[in-house]
Amino acid sequence: MPFTAHDLRYDLERSYPSLCAYLQQRAQRYLGPLAFDANEVDQVVGHIVEQLTRLQLLGGGDHSPQTALDRFSNAQFYAFLNRSVKNKAIDRLRKRRLPASTLAELEALGNSDEENNPMSTVTNSIWGSTPFPTPEEVALHAASHQELRNLLKHCIEELSAAPRQLQAVMQELTELGAGDLLKEIDEKYHTLLAGLPLAHLSQHKDHAHKKLRHCLQKSSSNLAVLVAFRLTEYGHYFTGTEEVSVATQTLAQDDLSKQEVQTGLKHLVSEGLLDWHGEETVRFSSIQHKHLARFYEEGE
Amino acid sequence: MNERDQNEGLPDPRNEYLPLAQWLQQVLAITPQPNAELTSITDNGARFGDDYHMEFYQQLPDFVLALLHDDTQATLRFAPLLFHLIGCPTCHAAYLEIYDAMRATVVPGEIHLLAGNGTHSMATTSTRMLVYLCRLLINQAETVLRQARQKHIDNDAWARSLLQQAIQISSHLTQSTLRQRALHDLVEVATLFDGAGEPAEQSPAAHSYTPVMSGGATRHGGKTRRRTETIDRPAEQPAIYLQSGLSELEGRITQNEDMLELHLVELDQKLRGHFLTISVPLGSILEPVRWLGGNPYAIRSQVPVSEDGSLTTPLGKTELRISNPEDHNLLEALFKKLDVRPIETM
Repeated sequence: MPFTAHDLRYDLERSYPSLCAYLQQRAQRYLGPLAFDANEVDQVVGHIVEQLTRLQLLGGGDHSPQTALDRFSNAQFYAFLNRSVKNKAIDRLRKRRLPASTLAELEALGNSDEENNPMSTVTNSIWGSTPFPTPEEVALHAASHQELRNLLKHCIEELSAAPRQLQAVMQELTELGAGDLLKEIDEKYHTLLAGLPLAHLSQHKDHAHKKLRHCLQKSSSNLAVLVAFRLTEYGHYFTGTEEVSVATQTLAQDDLSKQEVQTGLKHLVSEGLLDWHGEETVRFSSIQHKHLARFYEEGE
Repeated sequence: MNERDQNEGLPDPRNEYLPLAQWLQQVLAITPQPNAELTSITDNGARFGDDYHMEFYQQLPDFVLALLHDDTQATLRFAPLLFHLIGCPTCHAAYLEIYDAMRATVVPGEIHLLAGNGTHSMATTSTRMLVYLCRLLINQAETVLRQARQKHIDNDAWARSLLQQAIQISSHLTQSTLRQRALHDLVEVATLFDGAGEPAEQSPAAHSYTPVMSGGATRHGGKTRRRTETIDRPAEQPAIYLQSGLSELEGRITQNEDMLELHLVELDQKLRGHFLTISVPLGSILEPVRWLGGNPYAIRSQVPVSEDGSLTTPLGKTELRISNPEDHNLLEALFKKLDVRPIETM
């Protein structure tokens, strides 16, 4: 019996047997020489079931937020499952040290319906490599991407509430040679940091890192940067005045929810960059416009 | 000379940011748990990996889709996730897996294989997969509750729904040993609910009962049983049999029309002549029982413990039937823990 992502979210008890049957059939297909090893089949099926649970799809109902998986067509959802099974099966084959070529041989010998499934070779050639294949690549992107670097600067500046922690991070950045990032922070907090002793910096550094981790991974920080960018990008000057306005709907575009826009705006209010009290249209002065641009743009 | 040749010899501009990137990795690193790979389906007793981060994991499909659609603001919009991926190998591995699987869904002209039209039911599904799902749902409920506690939000309804589904699905397992395995962490997770568990002023339980493992659902008469030999067990009367681990006491729950009744025997001397408070910690997870007094944590016995140490008292009404195998299993899950304590007389 066919099932959908919607069924798995809202009627798990009824649709789970069909999901298992489908995953099992695909797992046996891709496991080749291990196809009759019930333990290996369960490993593959169990992995996908676990992933779907972690993604909050299985039995999530209205409690968990919907994701791109919920918006897939049935065909796309099955393709997603099929590919997930295939990847895990290859992983199992590798762990059992079976030759990868086994898989290709099996494809050639597959049933008639399998000729419709030349996924791996097609997708790889069309779509190229995966972005951010390693955590190192992610870190390099974050360090070299202007907006993300600015977000880092913003989080470092938040350390100014505990000057010794800011000082500890500034020293680290100096040692790294991160001059661009340091320059503006240094100008802004030079007076605050002047005269602070350099003792116990290691302890302050640990606290500072903890705060940085929290700041970089909380959504209001990046939403504030994104909303600040959109305010400066989409704001219109009233004719003959110094006032700029932009509708919150415009700030949302297609990819932010109303709540996310509000979170970003509230963060900007807390930074003293905006006067906004929940109105549908955000209004700000040309001076505030400059400050918002400065908030968004990296120090030049 | 092609572009590649022209660029040869020039420094990679990204190298400029390499030290900062390495520092970011150091700042954001999350120490992986010793057993980073999530618990194998064949591991019966172990817990699932705790190094999975629900808040970020759930964002992966939307992030991946934004990348596949070349959304230029994807990394800024998902910046918290991106920074998290720098330091969390578990979530990064999940990202790679999900990216590859989702990429297969957007290939033009790709032909997708739909599920067949065969009829599948719980009865034909591998019991291992049923046990595994129950344990995953309970583990997910635990994660939801722990995150809610950290963030000071109320996710009780969500967690309760996950536990209800786990109990409901476990009721399709006919072997009670499998049901016990499926619901292994249920009681522990249920105590994480706000206001759940024993009220602070309550004394420790005098006795704590759990269901006796048995092979079948309802027809217990001919089963071999290590315990419950002394309890009066009328032939063919459907019941849920209980035992108290440390004191080796026995009990059972029977049904008289809609009313569930608790029968306990050989209670200690100090409880005799006292009324008891009966606590069913999972009683608020499933809602088909209307508990006597309305509070499953404090059901007052209708009579005191008799001089011979026995007690028979009603617990609450339900439309479920112990004689029905699946209903029996649901009720058995509900009574996975039953505590009794004496009510002090003035």
